[in-house]
Amino acid sequence: MLRKRKSEGVTSSADGSGIRALINTLDAYRGIAAFIVVFLLGVIFSPRALDTGRPIFVSFRTQLDILYEYCEYGLLATGMTLVILTGGIDLSVSSVLGFCATFFALLTIGYGWDIAPAVIVVICAGFAMGAVNGALISRFRIQPFVATLAMMVSARGLAKFISGGIKVQPAAEPWYRCTESTPYFYLWMTKSLPGIGVQPSTLLFLISIVVMAVVVKYTTYGRRIYAIGGNEEAARLSGIRISWNKILTYALCAGFAALAGIVNACRQDLGDPEAGTGFELEAIAAVVIGGTSLMGGKGSMVFTFIGVLIMAYISKILSLNAVPIAPRMIIQGAIIVIAVLIQQQRRR
Amino acid sequence: MRKAAVVLVLMAAVALFIAGCGKKEAETGEKVKAKWTIGMSQCNLGEPWRVQMNKDIAEAAKAHPEIKVVFKDAQNKSETQQAQVREFKQLGVDLIIISPKESRPLTGPVAEAYRAGIPVIVLDRKVEGSEYTCFIGADNVKIGREAGKFLVKILGGKGNVVELKGLMTSTPGQERHKGFMEGIKGSQIKIIFDADCKWLEPNARDEMTSALSRFDKIDAVYAHNDPSAHGAYMAARQEGKGREKTIKFIGIDALPTEGVRYVRDGILTATFQYPTGGKEAIETAIQILSGKKVPKNITLGTRIFTKDNVDKGGEPL
Repeated sequence: MLRKRKSEGVTSSADGSGIRALINTLDAYRGIAAFIVVFLLGVIFSPRALDTGRPIFVSFRTQLDILYEYCEYGLLATGMTLVILTGGIDLSVSSVLGFCATFFALLTIGYGWDIAPAVIVVICAGFAMGAVNGALISRFRIQPFVATLAMMVSARGLAKFISGGIKVQPAAEPWYRCTESTPYFYLWMTKSLPGIGVQPSTLLFLISIVVMAVVVKYTTYGRRIYAIGGNEEAARLSGIRISWNKILTYALCAGFAALAGIVNACRQDLGDPEAGTGFELEAIAAVVIGGTSLMGGKGSMVFTFIGVLIMAYISKILSLNAVPIAPRMIIQGAIIVIAVLIQQQRRR
Repeated sequence: MRKAAVVLVLMAAVALFIAGCGKKEAETGEKVKAKWTIGMSQCNLGEPWRVQMNKDIAEAAKAHPEIKVVFKDAQNKSETQQAQVREFKQLGVDLIIISPKESRPLTGPVAEAYRAGIPVIVLDRKVEGSEYTCFIGADNVKIGREAGKFLVKILGGKGNVVELKGLMTSTPGQERHKGFMEGIKGSQIKIIFDADCKWLEPNARDEMTSALSRFDKIDAVYAHNDPSAHGAYMAARQEGKGREKTIKFIGIDALPTEGVRYVRDGILTATFQYPTGGKEAIETAIQILSGKKVPKNITLGTRIFTKDNVDKGGEPL
C-alpha cells in the first residue's frame, strides 16, 4: 500500500491535479477516519457511572483498559502483519501462544526457574516453532495455510503434553516448586505502573509494534518482505533469498506469539494449555481491518495498530453496553465489512 | 459511489442496532426505578447449563422489582471476564454475581471489587482466598459419589462400566471422576473404557462407538453430563444390536430440557441434578443488600431423577 500510494502521488503531481492529490492524502488517512467513527460511536453510546453519572467510555482508565484487554491480540497481529505482508498466513499463532503460556508457567511455577532465563527459553521455543513453519513453507513448498494449520494442531497437542493435560498453577502437581502463589512477575505484568498507569503487558505490545513499524519501514528486511509479498518471482530474480527471509518472518511471528503467551500466563495467573484458542482469527481480522492486503505486499504496521484499536474499541463499546452475544456477533461482522470497505483503495 | 452507499447503509444499520439495545436498557431503567443494580458475569453462555443459570437468576429477579440485573457473557475467556468485573466496578453496581470460568485469574479482580466495598457472590466455581462475600455452589464429588453408589446398587455390585468424562482439565470433570471412584470403591465394578469427551455429545457418540466395537459386555455408561449420556445412547442404538435397551445410561446435570426429559423418555436410567444456584444467588443478594448477614459458604444439595420419581420432581439426596 505504501508503494502504491507513493506511485499515485507521483502520477498526480505529474498530472498537476490538486484535487487528485487531496483525494490521495485523504485516502491515506481512511484508517484513521474509520477509527474516529468507531471512537465517536463509543462516546455516543457510553453508559454513565451509576454513582457519579460520568460517561465511562471517555475516562482515562477505560482507554487504558481497552489497550490492556487487546494487548495479546495486538502482539499476535504485529507478527501476523509481517507474515501477511509476504503473502502468507499463520494460523498457528493461537496454539503457539497456548504452548508458550503453558511452557512459561511450567518453567517458573513448576520448576521454579528465574523469570529471565524462562522468558528467553520460551521466546526461543516460539522462534523454533515459527522457523519450522517457515521451513515447511519455503523449503518443502507446503502452502502457508496448510503448514501452519499442522503447527496449530501439534503445538496445541504439545501444550497439553508438557502440562500433562492440566492447567499449570501453584500446587497443581505435588512436585511443583510454587505451592501458594505465582512469582511476583505475574502480578507486576498486569499491575498499573505507578505514575503512568499503563500495565507492563500493554507497554510490551506498544514497544513491539513501534519497533516493528520502524523495522518494516526502514530496514532492508522490511523492503524485502514487501518485495516477496508483491511478486515472489520478481523478488527471487532480483536476488532476494526467499526461503531465509520467509523462515525469519515466520519465526518472528511465532516469537511475538510467544510474548503474547507470556502475557497470557501472567494475566490468567496460570498456564492454560487451551489458552488462545481462536485468537488467530482475531489477529488476522485486526490486520485486515487495518488495511493490509491478504494478497501480500501492501500494508503497514501503523495500519495494523489502527486495526487493533478499532477491534478493541468495538469490543469495549459492546461490552460496556452489555449487548448480548447474538447481536454483538452480528454487529462485529458488519463493522468488519464497513471498516474494510472504508479502507479499500480505489481500484482505478 | 456504490461502495459509499453500502458503507452508509451498513453504518446506519449498526448505529440503529446499538441504539436499539442501549435504549431498551435506558427505558427499563426509567420505568422500573430499580433501587439496586446487580451485575452478573457469566463465563460462557454456550453451555445449556449456564443458560439455565441465567434463566433462573432472571426469573428470581422478576419477583423483586427493586433490583435490576445486567447480564454479561464472557464467552469462555478469563480475560474477558476480568474486564467485565472491572467494568461493573466502574459502572458502580451495588452487587456483583460472578460465575467464574477459572478460579485463579478471577481472584484478583473479584478481590479488587470486594475491597472497593462491592459485595460479590461467587457462583458454581470458587475463587482463591477469602476476598468475596459469599460462595454458592454444588458438590461435584458428592454427586459423582452418589452416581457411583447408585450404579453399585442397580448392577448388584459388579459389572463393566464405560466412563465418558467431561473436560478433564476442568475441576468439575476431575471431581465427578473422583467422586465416582469413591462411590464404586469396594464393589466389583470395573471401568473397562474411558474417554475425555469435553462435555460434548458428538465426542461421546464417537467414543461410545469405539467402546461398543471393542467390548461385547457393557453393563452401564457413566457420563459426566447428560448430553454425553444421550450421545452414548444414540451410539448404542445406531449399532443396531439393541444394546441400548440393556445398557444402563447415567448422566449428570438434570436440566429440564435435557437430562430430565431423557429420563422421562426412558433414554437415561437416572440423572443427578447439578443445581445452578441462580435462585439462591438472587435471594442471597437481596439479603446482603438489605444489610443482613449471610453465610460465607452455601453448598447446594443434589437430586436424583429416575423414571419413578421424575414426575414428582426428583428426590433430594
